[in-house]
Amino acid sequence: MVAPGGRLMDAIVETFRWLTDAASWTGPRGVLARSLEHLWISLVPLASAMAVAIPAGVLAGHHRRGQAVGAAISNLGRAVPSLALLVFGLLLSVRVLGLGFSFWPIVFTLFFLALQPLFTNSYTAVREADPALLEAARGQGLSERDVLLAVELPVASPVILTAVRITAVQVVATAPLGALAAGGGLGRFIIDGFGQKDDGQMLGGVVLVAVFALLVEFAITRLERRVVPGPLQGRTDAAAVVATGRAN
Amino acid sequence: MTDPMIRLDGATKTFPGTSTPAVDALSLEVPTGEIVVFVGPSGCGKTTTLKMINRIIEPTGGTITVDGVDVRDREPHLLRRDIGYVIQQIGLFPHRTIAQNVATVPRLLGWDEDRTRARVDELLVTMGLDEELGARYPAELSGGQRQRVGVARALAADPPVLLMDEPFGAVDPIVRGRLQVELLDLQARLRKTIVFVTHDIDEAIHLGDRIAILNVGGHLEQYAPPEDILREPATPFVEEFLGPERGLKRLALRTVADLGELGLGNCVQADASVEEAAQVAAEHQERWIGILDGDRLRGWAWVSDLDGARRAGDVETSLFRVALSAEDTLRAALDGLVRSRTGVAVVLGPDQRYDGMITLARLNQAMVS
Repeated sequence: MVAPGGRLMDAIVETFRWLTDAASWTGPRGVLARSLEHLWISLVPLASAMAVAIPAGVLAGHHRRGQAVGAAISNLGRAVPSLALLVFGLLLSVRVLGLGFSFWPIVFTLFFLALQPLFTNSYTAVREADPALLEAARGQGLSERDVLLAVELPVASPVILTAVRITAVQVVATAPLGALAAGGGLGRFIIDGFGQKDDGQMLGGVVLVAVFALLVEFAITRLERRVVPGPLQGRTDAAAVVATGRAN
Repeated sequence: MTDPMIRLDGATKTFPGTSTPAVDALSLEVPTGEIVVFVGPSGCGKTTTLKMINRIIEPTGGTITVDGVDVRDREPHLLRRDIGYVIQQIGLFPHRTIAQNVATVPRLLGWDEDRTRARVDELLVTMGLDEELGARYPAELSGGQRQRVGVARALAADPPVLLMDEPFGAVDPIVRGRLQVELLDLQARLRKTIVFVTHDIDEAIHLGDRIAILNVGGHLEQYAPPEDILREPATPFVEEFLGPERGLKRLALRTVADLGELGLGNCVQADASVEEAAQVAAEHQERWIGILDGDRLRGWAWVSDLDGARRAGDVETSLFRVALSAEDTLRAALDGLVRSRTGVAVVLGPDQRYDGMITLARLNQAMVS
């Protein structure tokens, strides 16, 4: 007779066995190689989205313009599921740009995924800077450029960095979808394990994705402490970060 | 008179989407080296007027000149580097140390490191702030300290003009009083041209060399030294705005020294005869007499107690409990006078030297003349 939970126990044992098998880790399809791929397919879209969305959000916030655009992006970003984004990424890569499967579909997907929280939070963080602080800054004779770079940006930096962290975790955790479009990364273990009815490999992949996400979170938290001005640290998580929750 | 530092000529501000101007063709001159206080009820345009001077608010009409130059002929951020600016919320940069905050304008002007540091240290001392506060962040300071830092930051590049928008409005009354006294001390040394906005008429009277009382729409009801405004309010609006106790407020503006020579008053030397003492008291229509030892005031005695004594100084005297000095206000003199059994306030000079006494009649004469 099989005890209730026996299947679960089996799965855990198999996962453990797969994770501790040296063969799982090495070679071009091993965990190490897939982790590097995972890092790459996350980093490229995240960095590109940061390069676009943060300056755009900061400038829009500084000029207090683009409220309507911001709200539209924000709402659209939240409403569209990641899977739909993947379909969009696929179409864009394969049909429109002719870049094929594997790498670009998931990169486009994650890029679009990351735009919304980065833009919305950068915009909000700058726009909600204390008006009295800005008036005092202008009153001392700071130019508009100085106001933006020396006051608004540092004051907004905790919220922006927090948005980067949360977005990065979201990107890393969504990257496995890429395996559906023949992409690499840790998602391969989940998709392949499922296809091969190899529970150990599949669940091992899930564990690895979770660990990967935690490591990213940890690394960016460390970065935040270095980038955010001392007296502004440690008061963002509660105060900030609108609209990163989304339908998946 | 030298040229005024600030001149408003028909200054007007109509905010977008409104038809009535917030400030309608206001003209006045702020003399160099004086504190001018704009005071009035909410909506009188006092803050708008102040902010038009450094173009935080752009005027929509008229001309404003600072030191002879039309403010619209200068880049706003360059104009503002020559005009210190202090606001109620202070607006210190939270991510910068106190020293960095104070160094804001010197940095913008490209001062070198040594000069900037020396200036920051000097200002912290001037504002009565511990030098070690320089390394702290704004969040670590009390409200009063932050406001002093705000003033230090505004003064950093030694601008000739200082604009202060309700700077002491957010601190408690005790700290406010202290900051007001400090500002007057500072002004006695620096002689800046200061425009100060408040809604508190008592603050205006305390600080202003001149007061501009504004009514809704930036209408100038009266522009004069506080003494003149209290003595002769130009309009019923001013009279109402000044509130009750105008006489007391005027007394608070003047000091014992302003009364000039007080004379000996109802006093005799201790070795005077009893008859002489009685006669002096009678001349002053008093039933008591002050007893002097040379230039020291021993105390006072009832004339009736002198019966049977030979000299005025032979009897027990009571002490005058309230003694004023030359810097005390006439309001303090009145307070001392009404609390005293003898109905006078005694004035002592350096080393407790007796300088005379103030009577109600003397106060009254000073206020109505």
